[in-house]
Amino acid sequence: MTKPLALAIKWVLIAAAVAGAFVIATKLAEAGNTLAVVLAGVVGLGILAIYATRRAVPLKYLAPGVLLMILFQLWPVVYTANLSFTNYGDGHLYSKEESVSDIIAQSVREVPGTPRYKMSVAVKERASVETADLILLLTNPEGATFTGDPSGLKPLAPEGVTKAPSGKILSAPGYTLLTARQVNARSADLSALAVPTSDGGGIKPVGLSEAFEGKPTMSYDAASDRITDSSTTPPTVYAPADARWTNVADPSQTLPQGWKEGVGLANYTRIFTDPTLREGFVSIFVWNLFFAIFSVLSTFLLGMLIALLFNDPRLRGKGIYRSLLILPYALPIFVTALVWKGMFNQDYGIINQLTGLNVDWLGTSLGAKTAILITNLWLGFPYMFIVCTGALQSIPQDVREAATIDGANAFRTLRSIIMPLLLVAVGPLLLASFAFNFNNFGLIYLLTKGGPFNGADTSIGSSDLLITYAYRLAFSGSAPNYGFAAAVSVIIFILVALMSIPGFRRTKALEEIN
Amino acid sequence: MHKRALGAVAVTGVAALALSACGGSSPTTPSNTAAGTAKATTTGVPETPSGTAAPVRDANVDLVIWTDADRSAAVQKYADEFAAENGVTVKVQISTDTRQQFKDATKVGKGPDVIVGAHDWLGELVQNSTVAPVNLASDVSAKFLPKAIEATKFNGQSYGVPYAVENIGLMYNKDLVPNPPKTMDELVATGEKLVKEGKAKQVLSQFVSKVGNAYFAYPYLSAFEGGGIFGTNAQGGYDPNKVIVDSPGSVKGGEVLADLGKKKVLSTNVDDTNQDALFDSKAAPFMISGPWSVAKAKEAGINYGIAPLPSLEGGGPMKPFLGVQMFYVSSKAKNAALAQEFVTNYIPRKDVQLALFEVGKRPPALKEAYDEVSATDPDVKAWYEAGVDGAPMPNIPAMNSVWGPFGQATADIIAGKAGAQARLDAAAKEIEANIAKG
Repeated sequence: MTKPLALAIKWVLIAAAVAGAFVIATKLAEAGNTLAVVLAGVVGLGILAIYATRRAVPLKYLAPGVLLMILFQLWPVVYTANLSFTNYGDGHLYSKEESVSDIIAQSVREVPGTPRYKMSVAVKERASVETADLILLLTNPEGATFTGDPSGLKPLAPEGVTKAPSGKILSAPGYTLLTARQVNARSADLSALAVPTSDGGGIKPVGLSEAFEGKPTMSYDAASDRITDSSTTPPTVYAPADARWTNVADPSQTLPQGWKEGVGLANYTRIFTDPTLREGFVSIFVWNLFFAIFSVLSTFLLGMLIALLFNDPRLRGKGIYRSLLILPYALPIFVTALVWKGMFNQDYGIINQLTGLNVDWLGTSLGAKTAILITNLWLGFPYMFIVCTGALQSIPQDVREAATIDGANAFRTLRSIIMPLLLVAVGPLLLASFAFNFNNFGLIYLLTKGGPFNGADTSIGSSDLLITYAYRLAFSGSAPNYGFAAAVSVIIFILVALMSIPGFRRTKALEEIN
Repeated sequence: MHKRALGAVAVTGVAALALSACGGSSPTTPSNTAAGTAKATTTGVPETPSGTAAPVRDANVDLVIWTDADRSAAVQKYADEFAAENGVTVKVQISTDTRQQFKDATKVGKGPDVIVGAHDWLGELVQNSTVAPVNLASDVSAKFLPKAIEATKFNGQSYGVPYAVENIGLMYNKDLVPNPPKTMDELVATGEKLVKEGKAKQVLSQFVSKVGNAYFAYPYLSAFEGGGIFGTNAQGGYDPNKVIVDSPGSVKGGEVLADLGKKKVLSTNVDDTNQDALFDSKAAPFMISGPWSVAKAKEAGINYGIAPLPSLEGGGPMKPFLGVQMFYVSSKAKNAALAQEFVTNYIPRKDVQLALFEVGKRPPALKEAYDEVSATDPDVKAWYEAGVDGAPMPNIPAMNSVWGPFGQATADIIAGKAGAQARLDAAAKEIEANIAKG
């Protein structure tokens, strides 16, 4: 490549990266996230500083990787850790202020016996439809017309007013009526609008063409920090407790909308002190570890044996065998896991029918675990087979010949020559496979959903992995609690990281064989 | 390698959480800047998502509706009409898991204005401040089945407009059983006779599964006085502080489950994957299921009949849960006025209800529409009659604490792993503990 062309490409790429950072920054600014805008700006400037100058050569290589690592690996970890110190979850999504305004807005009830109006939305003639104060043009069931605005309801003289058959006003002198789209553009103003009536209620719009008289039954007193529900007699008073509005007289009654708040280490304390959770955590962890180790070893052994077999030069039609063996790997797990689930059915499954057994595979702890391990062996060995086949083919023939000349038998050659060389290539993949299986969510979820559940505890299943357990806590449990599930995730992260470190040390040792 | 793999581990550990929880904090600005200039156009066909990801809210239209694939065409037709009438643009988008996707998208200000969903989502949606009250005129709401309107209410406030009711009933194979049994004993006797004669392989096909199914197990409890899941409060709503799965009536229902489990009438090996197949292959002459099973039975050429659930010895008829399908308006709707207008003015129309009926064949919630279809479609009438005694499924958030524990308890009772009294007591304790935690 000629130098000017290379230079041109370089600057185009730099410009594209900076422009990209700028676009992201504007989006973030739109969302009102100041800190993120600053960060995006720093990244943009950083790209410019690193690649536009001749300095910082090592950074030119490191920057993209570091950036992506921060974005996709460190940030989720930090975010999750952050979340684990809150009660974020169902019923605790928003701030306390938002919960108050939502509770009051949702408590508006139609005042019984009040008329329902047909409504048009208007502004004063020649005023701006985008900004001017909104006026409701109302027709009551008797056909009388009114104007309504925050100052109250006033009669509208019928002269010059045209109405649709439904009673909705189509035009009125002195007013400009808004079109549907114009009304919609002012949805926020419209929902804030209530035409006060004498009994303390307000006429509020419904959609584009109706209005009703409603009254909020809840009120909030900021000074005492209490919400009062006047629809009951006597009025019910709610006070903040434990991130919810709780009935002062009867603490078992709470309003559905709570708020998000920091809870410190409470989520972690719960993991380690709640007896069911603690025992469940230990048993899940032991099974999880066993599952991951057994899956890796069993799939590796089977895959390697088949790979060794098919690596024999005397075997013909290898292409066909190899393609067939890769099939389990090529089929989507969503299909295969469900097929296996059907095969393990106690009454109708092919496994019990063929073997004449009557094992309740998916209904007992041991049966479910065995079923999972068998399925995972079937799903996982083709990967190991591919990997081992590749690695075996890269082992030079002369090494084996040398071993044969030195008088080693086939087994000795395998143990002392082929295995060490194979492990150099495959070792890191075994570790990756361990990490994958440690978090093999899809298989468990599709096959047993973590079950069967024993005794009177349906939060901890006997075939649960930590990740399916965390998922149940966060998303499909009785009370989805992201904060708590985040705490569990942080612990899983720490556990897997701790277990992986010695593994990678060992891999390094293997690499030194070369 | 070292760093990368460690990182990969980190990512897998938190991926599930991060994916749904990441995102900006405040909503984007409304997108009506083109108000005066944009022409009233319609999209014609619903937008189909790729894979199972949530749809991306189209920021350039005046009203966004999310629904599942089945209903989208019917909704689209009337959305188009609404668009033309009001000179606005409407987009119907298909969401694969509306409940979760709506919650997640609304949290980050990217949710739709209107969704179509089941009424039992309501408590959870209110709890998370994601739906707005929908105030129907009293003369309009009087046109609906009272139970359907009741189902759209939470704490006395109304949150949507219903369009269909659904419930389970007894499907039977007319070639094997000319007349539907009135009692469970009759059902078992008929079925066992057929099995003995070799005309069937098992008595009944009912979704139980290894983890149980609270929805299908509930009618056994409700058949007895005082049996059920939640008691009611002074306003007639379900009271989360009154868990009655271990009441004497519920335990009687549990004993029926145990007995049917012992007789192999109910089995934990029947689940959603094989329930229909058992009935459609004539292996089982009876199936307890809902309108969703009809299409498959028809396809398999089964001469089926639909009857109310049988009654239980010592109790009364089994009363199923009623599910109500409805239109919700998002509380964070960018186009609240149009959303309210569409839901309050279009969904109560007879032609809209009829169009939506064609999609799922569930009895319409609007009386007029129901009368019209039930006159010509005996299935609809039969489903409706099977649900006449039913109560709406609880829509309080506490119901989320029930599905797992109660389902598992019924599975264990059917499998004979535990006695009805002890297991339901344990389930009640677990449910109460979960509600207290939530």
